[in-house]
Amino acid sequence: MAYLLNVILGTIVPMCVTALVTMAITIIFKTSSTTNFAQGVISAFGAYVVAAALNKLNLSIWLALPIGVVVAVAIAVAIDVLIFRRGRYVNALGKQIITMGLISIIVGAIPLIFGMQTPQFRVFVEGKVSFMVGGQDVTVTVNALVCLAITAVVLTAIFMMLQFSKWGLSVRATAANEYVAGMLGINTHVITAISWGLAGALGTLAATMNGGINQVGVYFMTGYQVNAFLAGILGGFATFYGPVIAAFMIPLANNLVVYLANVMGKPELSSWSLVIVYGLALVIIFFKPEGIFGKRTVKKV
Amino acid sequence: MDKYLYENYALFGTVPKEKRSLTDLARGVLANPLYHYLLFGAVMLVVGFLSATKVLPYSLQSGMAITFAYSLASVGFCLLMGYSGLASLGTGGFMGIGCYAIHFVMTEAGLPFGVALVVALSIGVVLGLIVGVVSLRIEGIYLVILTLGLSEILRNLYIAVQDSIYLSSFKLLGITIPRSASVYVVTVLLVVIMMLTHNLIVSPTGRAMLAMKNSTAAAQAMGISLMKYRLLAFVICTVYAVLSGMMLMITIRSAMATDASGFYALITSLNILAAVIIGGFRSIWGAVFGTFIMYGLQTMLLNRIPFLQENPVIITFVSGILVVLVVMFYPGGVAQLVQEVRMKLRKRRMARREEKYGKD
Amino acid sequence: MAKTKLFPTAQQRLLPLQQRRRRLQLQLDALEQTVSARQAEKLAAYGAKLDRSLMKDAFAACDKEAYAQQILEQKLQKFDVRQNMDRRAVNHGCSKAIFTAVEAGGDWQELLKKQRQELDALEHKRSEYLAKLTAEKEAFVAKNSSADGAGYEKAKEKAQALYESRRTALETEGQQLVAKKRAKLTGQLAALDRRIAGIRSGVRSETLPEDVLLRVKGLKMYFGGLKAVDDVTFDVKKGEIFGLIGPNGAGKTTVFNCITRFYDATDGSIHFVNKEDEVVDLRQFQVHDVILQGITRTFQNVELVREISVLDNLLVACTREYQSNLLVQALGLPSLKREEEALREKARRILKFMGLESYANWLAFGLPYGILKKVEIARALMSDARLIIMDEPAAGLNDSETAELTETIRRIRDEFGVTILLVEHDMSLVMNVCDTVCAISFGKMLAIGTSRQIKENPAVQEAYLGVEGDA
Repeated sequence: MAYLLNVILGTIVPMCVTALVTMAITIIFKTSSTTNFAQGVISAFGAYVVAAALNKLNLSIWLALPIGVVVAVAIAVAIDVLIFRRGRYVNALGKQIITMGLISIIVGAIPLIFGMQTPQFRVFVEGKVSFMVGGQDVTVTVNALVCLAITAVVLTAIFMMLQFSKWGLSVRATAANEYVAGMLGINTHVITAISWGLAGALGTLAATMNGGINQVGVYFMTGYQVNAFLAGILGGFATFYGPVIAAFMIPLANNLVVYLANVMGKPELSSWSLVIVYGLALVIIFFKPEGIFGKRTVKKV
Repeated sequence: MDKYLYENYALFGTVPKEKRSLTDLARGVLANPLYHYLLFGAVMLVVGFLSATKVLPYSLQSGMAITFAYSLASVGFCLLMGYSGLASLGTGGFMGIGCYAIHFVMTEAGLPFGVALVVALSIGVVLGLIVGVVSLRIEGIYLVILTLGLSEILRNLYIAVQDSIYLSSFKLLGITIPRSASVYVVTVLLVVIMMLTHNLIVSPTGRAMLAMKNSTAAAQAMGISLMKYRLLAFVICTVYAVLSGMMLMITIRSAMATDASGFYALITSLNILAAVIIGGFRSIWGAVFGTFIMYGLQTMLLNRIPFLQENPVIITFVSGILVVLVVMFYPGGVAQLVQEVRMKLRKRRMARREEKYGKD
Repeated sequence: MAKTKLFPTAQQRLLPLQQRRRRLQLQLDALEQTVSARQAEKLAAYGAKLDRSLMKDAFAACDKEAYAQQILEQKLQKFDVRQNMDRRAVNHGCSKAIFTAVEAGGDWQELLKKQRQELDALEHKRSEYLAKLTAEKEAFVAKNSSADGAGYEKAKEKAQALYESRRTALETEGQQLVAKKRAKLTGQLAALDRRIAGIRSGVRSETLPEDVLLRVKGLKMYFGGLKAVDDVTFDVKKGEIFGLIGPNGAGKTTVFNCITRFYDATDGSIHFVNKEDEVVDLRQFQVHDVILQGITRTFQNVELVREISVLDNLLVACTREYQSNLLVQALGLPSLKREEEALREKARRILKFMGLESYANWLAFGLPYGILKKVEIARALMSDARLIIMDEPAAGLNDSETAELTETIRRIRDEFGVTILLVEHDMSLVMNVCDTVCAISFGKMLAIGTSRQIKENPAVQEAYLGVEGDA
């Protein structure tokens, strides 16, 4: 029992990171009708900026994070304004390919700007909290709790805004049909730009959390991005909450497989955990292409 | 000059054949696109030989071998995307099958290359069929993500099974082929694959695929089974990717699954996609050229420039910019560019003719 | 979309067998022709070989003067072709220069003189060349002794005898070949027939009246709670032009999407007399198999392949006709090329019928809409269908184009003997061309009858114009 708790608590940071990245990808998917393959590297870029602020300017992480967020937002908005808005008549596949091209650009740009060496990174708060369950130690880092709190606040705020603010209504209208939304007097340009900016900010936040527990690298967010895409179709892009819920499920399921493998006495199975989780996700998607929370639509010929 | 004799003395109505001059013969050969591939192959074999014997820079042959090996995957992807209108990000994962088949069948079990080929291709066909069936239910962006997921599954599977693989010595038909000679094998295979693909593209199958890409409803009404041609497209693409992985293994001889910029990482799938985009969706030559830009340019030419040698990422950076620009402003890619230049040249030739001789 | 059934029904299993049977029958019918054509080819090749061997004797026997003269003429002709271009360049360049000189008030007469000089130079060159050729010719005639016909005559007789014996040999060989192949094909056909009969014995067959081609009975198509088509029943007779009309949203398109299997009807039956003259239940087939039964369609918004030529677009409709398998196609073997050529010929014929032969090699991309609509009809004709369903063929056409379309539809029916089902709301087209019209509204049948009856039917008038006094 204590072991299970430890496993679950150890998954907090990956869950938060995945959820934030998924939110970012979902928002862009809904407003720009494309999957942003560059989300991972934009986030990584933000993390590099945060690292530079930490190491070169000797700022604390709480000051470095906003700097990274601002830079990432600027880049994301620039991508929307300079590239996506001009490629409005590029078809859906073309848009995806543009985001793939962006990956190469940013992957090339990061070493040019920040140098080749892996940057040092810091967690939000050092320290651990331990308590006893059934006579056994359960440990959780303070950092994980802080991440969870931040994620909870940020996601709640975004959901509230989507549901109750005028901006949220506009986003939902744009997501439903950009053309009609534009005719109804919604400035879709501003909406998509804000969405991209928000995605950049969420990505940087996620990357900063991830930087505390993993080594920062150009591709260090790519795995989370893949998880986020899967979460997106697993939960169904039709809603905002579906992908986020699925995003919490994927890292959790992954660690649970590891847990089960150890409990059953077959620790060698634990290296297969991602294979099993992805496989399960694909099977679910195959039988429910519209996602767990999606609705089936009738296709007209 | 036996026209007179034939006209007056031939008994069985034979029409004399015009004797063709050498230029006519050459023109006839150049008019048949299949000969272009053969010509290309011959030239590349000669260049490879000169490079292996160090008449040309020695690094050229490995750069060529790598480019051509990746080109196999690009040509398959060109067929999938440009002709069937399907997209996939599973290329990297599928290439891994070829690599691992070589490792397990040849290095570990010590069996000949043919066995590895059969094993790899069978797995490739099965995987292609699976993705094809999936593509009947899930389309567009979702399919792309799903194949991405499949590729990640494969990559994690590789990591779980064995991270680092290698090929110590490669024998084909009893002849040991050193690394520097792998360029011949790869070139021959690429030329064969290009010719087969070209034939398919101009055949009823190619037309059926195009019809399917333009409108699934119209294609079905014309008797084209979506299932058959989608499965076929994915099987071909997967098989080519598997072959590409095998050729890479023969060329480079070792691979690491955990390497984030390795053969079967996401970045390979993206690069192959970018190569096909830069080259032009529906052109085999374009796919090979695009692959050259993505993979060959650096090793073969740009590494000679000291600045780029120190900053290899610049190539990644520039190729990214190229992809974005091509999609936004030049959706036809290099193939379209070549087409337009050719049209322009023709127009200019016509104009010069008119200048000299007046209008017809 | 119609659901894919896991296990094929008997009808579906019959399909490839019948297709193979049709191909075998065609092969059998054309057997003698193909064999004799091939033998003739062989004979011609042999003749050419004999001719080649004769040439040496022929040269000895020929009139050297005439032989050399012809060579001279050929060379001179080639020279003239080149010189004409030079002359043209001189004329063009000089007249341009003269023109500018006249405009500028320059010395144009000098230029005129220069032009004449250049032309004279060319003429001089020609006469020089002619003199050289004549000298060559005379030398040739002097060197080769005069005609000696005896050797040629002997060789000729020998060749003729050889040719005759070869011909008889080829003829007997051809007859044997025909007999052998016929036996093989008939055997295959009989085996196929047995298999077909075996499968068919398990199928309960429907019967339709002699003159009916398509019978739709009690057709229902519900989308959730929406009754898009509710209990529609009609017969389409062989060789008629049948119109299905109704206001927007009446369910016309749904009806024919049910017939062509794009939708799986909720209830009802659709029976059709297929190419084999047997009654089939269309609901047993998948959407891409419907064309093999003899039903093809056109689309409201043109659905052609933009990247290939008009001719190739027509060939798309024949995808299922090819016998070459994937391997043959990948290797580009000659058998595929022969098949292609035959189908291309057919496509050219149909394009000519539609008056489109000049567009054959154009890319479909960028052609005018009216042309594309015609290409679609031509494509529908490619599959030798018994029933062509046209989805709003007049949509997007102007009045004169619609009039032309009316004419085309009639001509297609008369020339190809196909039945045509029109789904349309352009009343002028329907009333002009249709023999029978069926009107539906909100998924329900209103009336069926001749176009005049329909026009006078109060229910139809109400559906189209609204109830009197209601407006």
